[in-house]
Parts: sequence; structure tokens; C-alpha cells
Amino acid sequence: MQGLASIRRGAIGLIGACLLAGLSLLTVAMAAQAELKPISPFAATEVAPGPPSAFAPPTAARFQAPGPLGRLFAWVFDKQQSLQRSLAAGVKDLKTDNPLGGAITLAVLSFVYGVLHAVGPGHGKTIISSYVVANEETVRRGVIISFIAAGLQALSAVVLVGVLLIGLGATGLRVNAWSNQLETISYAMIALVGLYLVSSQLRGAWRRWHSDTPALAAAAHHHGDHHAHHHHQGHDHHGHNHAPGEACDHIVDARKLAGPFSWRKVMAVVFSVGIRPCTGAILVLVFALTQGLFWAGVAATFAMALGTAITVAVLATLALGSRELALKLGGASSVWANMVWTTCAIGGATIILLFGLLMFTASLGPARPF
Amino acid sequence: MLPRGAQGRQFHLTLLLALAGLAGFAPTVDAHPHVWATVRSEIEFGTNHQITGIRHAWTFDEFYTAMAIEGLDINKDGIYSKEELQPLAKVNVESLKDFDYFTFVHLEGEEDKLLKLKPPVDYSVDYDKSVLTLHFTLPLETPVDTHGKPVQVDVYDPSFFVAFGFATDKPVTMAGADSKGCTAEITLPDPETAADTKALTESFFSQLGPNSNFGSQFAQTATVKCKDSHL
Repeated sequence: MQGLASIRRGAIGLIGACLLAGLSLLTVAMAAQAELKPISPFAATEVAPGPPSAFAPPTAARFQAPGPLGRLFAWVFDKQQSLQRSLAAGVKDLKTDNPLGGAITLAVLSFVYGVLHAVGPGHGKTIISSYVVANEETVRRGVIISFIAAGLQALSAVVLVGVLLIGLGATGLRVNAWSNQLETISYAMIALVGLYLVSSQLRGAWRRWHSDTPALAAAAHHHGDHHAHHHHQGHDHHGHNHAPGEACDHIVDARKLAGPFSWRKVMAVVFSVGIRPCTGAILVLVFALTQGLFWAGVAATFAMALGTAITVAVLATLALGSRELALKLGGASSVWANMVWTTCAIGGATIILLFGLLMFTASLGPARPF
Repeated sequence: MLPRGAQGRQFHLTLLLALAGLAGFAPTVDAHPHVWATVRSEIEFGTNHQITGIRHAWTFDEFYTAMAIEGLDINKDGIYSKEELQPLAKVNVESLKDFDYFTFVHLEGEEDKLLKLKPPVDYSVDYDKSVLTLHFTLPLETPVDTHGKPVQVDVYDPSFFVAFGFATDKPVTMAGADSKGCTAEITLPDPETAADTKALTESFFSQLGPNSNFGSQFAQTATVKCKDSHL
């Protein structure tokens, strides 16, 4: 099981690297923030009691929710809010004496915001994790897919804000409306990708089910793609219920139940997820634009995309890890391996389809006021 | 080809593991505010200690503010006047209808019997320093008597797209001649109490759906009580 070992090594390495990178960046962010604070004019104006006419924005009560899970959620949202405030302050800091320091802080904060933000909706966690599990993907490909999708989302946000606000002089509300349209399109595409995956996985499982009959098995091979060459080894001679120990070939065989790798499929998934601009990026971009610093917003957007990509990649890796774990639990049993692959292939594809449909219908609801 | 015996048990375990691996990513999907709003509300009283409506002032965060006002300074004088912002106020209050104005009014202990609200009146938006505040009044369809049970106002977005929180300073004030002896108190959800199992499972499984009720866990409540009601 060399594959398993390498996946495990890869996963541990990736998670470790991400944690370390995140931690070190956080430290830098804090240090940079502490350093920048004295020269920030806003920190001062916030504390100083302004003239009677000055408007002080009211502060809201803390988030709270019942139970330990509620406490966790409240904590995450609280952090996200303070991070968003620091982002706003970071953009404004660029206009002070220390634009370079401001830019670094902004990029680092955006990165951290991206890591946290990706826990929220619309970054393709569910889709990408389900896709890699449902298909014969490796950790490396899972990571690549996550990064391309995040990059596309960032690009989509930059293009949307750039074209509408700078190019056409539209209002921010228009950007919001367009972003919602793209969201609906994205979910529709995800549902279509899910439909395609479910039907092809079901077809594959159906063929396998009937492959006890050599004729059918042979027929199935013609439909196969570049993976088919593994296929002739021993399939025709065995039914489904092998004795453990004969399993080796059949695990390879069962693997094919999950859809084989194809760039076309990967691009369909990546595009369906990536067309939807990242909401957090749009907010930063528009805010930066109103401060006359669009370029800072673009830089922040890509730093943010790096953060979201890492979160999504970690989740996809965990999903692949749980598939490997499930495979490992079966030992040498090929029946077991078949079951795991079938469950993953059909389950993963079904999740993509259902998720796409649910989110698509939800996105058709009434327009949000804010 | 149903697995039997030890193999069957193993099979179910795998199935569980595999599904858990996949389903693990679903829960956090919708739990994510994009807009923050600080709520200050005025309880409007008519005669005889009756509440006739609620006047809200919702102050938004800087990011939403930037998004909302971008392009609305039509005469480009750098000032966002009330007139320039009025179309925004109109769009806001009109689309609030589909979300029950994020305002849920009921008597204490009668959370399932929500009092009906009429469409917003007297709405406006103002932009001061860096943030936007939306003002509007929600009249109650029938004024509610405060002589009996206390009246409660919950302000929250069930889908948690907007995170509402009452202001720490003067969150709720009383307005109108006959509001003497009336006070309001804010209650936040208590992290010490065990989560309502139903709400928890709901938040866990229904977040993907359009009818998500995740935000109710964070709902903050203003309770309005009147002493000496027969004054």
C-alpha cells in the first residue's frame, strides 16, 4: 500500500506546513499591527472624544449562542468581525506615512481572513472535497484543484468590480446584484456537473455489477478510457466474492468505480466553483476602491485567495484521508474495497448534485436587502 | 450481494466513515455573516401604554457601507446627501419585506404567535463618517397592550447572512407620551445553557437549505415591561 503511505505522508506534511505557515503569518501580522498602531491616525481619533457633532458608530453587543458549539461559532464570528475591521483599517493605513508597512499588513490580514473566510459558504469546500473523494484523485491533484478554483474566484471578483465600477461607473448595488447572478449560475453549473458525475458513476457501478458475465464485462471495457488497460487482468475469471488475499488486482479494479482522472472533468468542477466571485474579496475590493486604492484591493484579493485555497485544500486532503482510512479498515478484502469505492463514488457525486440543486433553488429566492 | 456477519458490520462502519468524511464539510456552509448591523430601536407608544410600532436605526459595517453607497454620490460633491441616498433606503426597506423585516415581535412566552407588522414608513438612510445607518418605522398592525405580559422584540436574520446585535449603549429607548414607567432589557443567548437540541440539529442539517434557521441561535431579545400600567 505504497499509495496509502504517500497520501498519508502528503496529508500530514500539507496540514503541518499550513499550520506552521498560518502561525508564522499570524505572528507577523500581530507584530506588524503593533508596529503600525502608533502611526495610525484612526486609532487615535477613535479614542479621543470628538466634538459634539462627531458621530461615533455604536458598538454592538457580543455574539452569543447556547451550548459549546454555539460558543465556538460565536467566537469564530467575533474573530471574523474584528479581522474585517482590521482589514478596513489596513486599507486606510496605506494612505498614511507607511504605505509599505500598510501593504504588508493588509496582505497578511487578507491571507488570514481568507483562511477563516473559506469556512463560510461558496468557496467550493463541499464540491471540491466531494469531487476528489468521488473520483480517483490524489492529494496532489486535490491541492491543485483547490488552488485553481480559489484563483478563479479571485479573478472573477477583480474582473467584476473592475469592469462594473471602474469601466462602467455602475453603483455598488449593481456589483452586488451581478455577484448574486454569478452565484446562481455557479450553482446551476455545479448541479449539472453533479448530474453528469452521478450518471457516469452509476453507469460504471451498473457495468461492474453485471461484469460477472464476461460478454458484458468486455462490452464495458470499450467504454473505458485510458485506464482500461489495467482491466483485463483476471476480471473475467472471478465473481464478486473473492477470498481475501486474491485482492490485489481487484482493488485496482475497484478503484475504477470512482471516476477516472480527466482534465475535462477537473476543469468543469473548477470552473463551476470558480466563476462565483468570493464575497469577501468583493467587499475588500469595493472598500479599497472607495479609498482610491484599487490596486491594494487586488493584492488583498489574491492574498485572500491563497488563504481560502489552503483551507479548501486541507479539507479535500482530509476527505481523501478518510477514504484511505476506510479502505485500510477492510484489510485485503476486495469486497470491502469495492464497497468503499462505490460508496465514495456515488455518495460524493450525489452530494455535489444535491448541493448544487439546493443552493441553486435557494439562490433564486427574494433579493436580499443588504 | 448483502454482506453478512463480521463483514457486514465492517461494511456498515466503512459506510458510516465514508459518509461522515463527506458530510463533515456540509455543516459550516451557510454559517457566515457577510454584513454586520448594530441595532438601536425605539419603542413607539400610543395612548394607554399601547405599543404602536418600532422605529429601527441599523448601523452597518464599513465594508457593507462602501458597497452600498458606491456610485450614489450623483453630483460628485463628495457628500452623500439624504436625497442621494433615498433610493438606497427605498430598495432596502422594500426588500426587507421578504425577510419579515428581520424583526419578530411577540408577547413573552408566545414566541410562536408573532404580531403582524405593517410595511415600513418614514424610512431614510444617513451616512456619517464611515458608516451607513438605515432608519425606518415598523407599525404594528394592531397596537399591543403592555398591561399583560411583557412584549418582546427579537432582531435577527434566520440565515445569518446579516449579523444583528443590539447596541451596547442605549439599545432600546421609549418614545411617545404614554411610555412612562416602561423599560426595556436586552437578553443575549446564554452560552451556559445547553443548546436546544432541535435548533442544534436544525443548524447542523438544514443549513444547506433555503429555510435555514441558524441565525436564531444568536438572536438577541429586547423585553419591554411597563410598571404602574394604570397610571
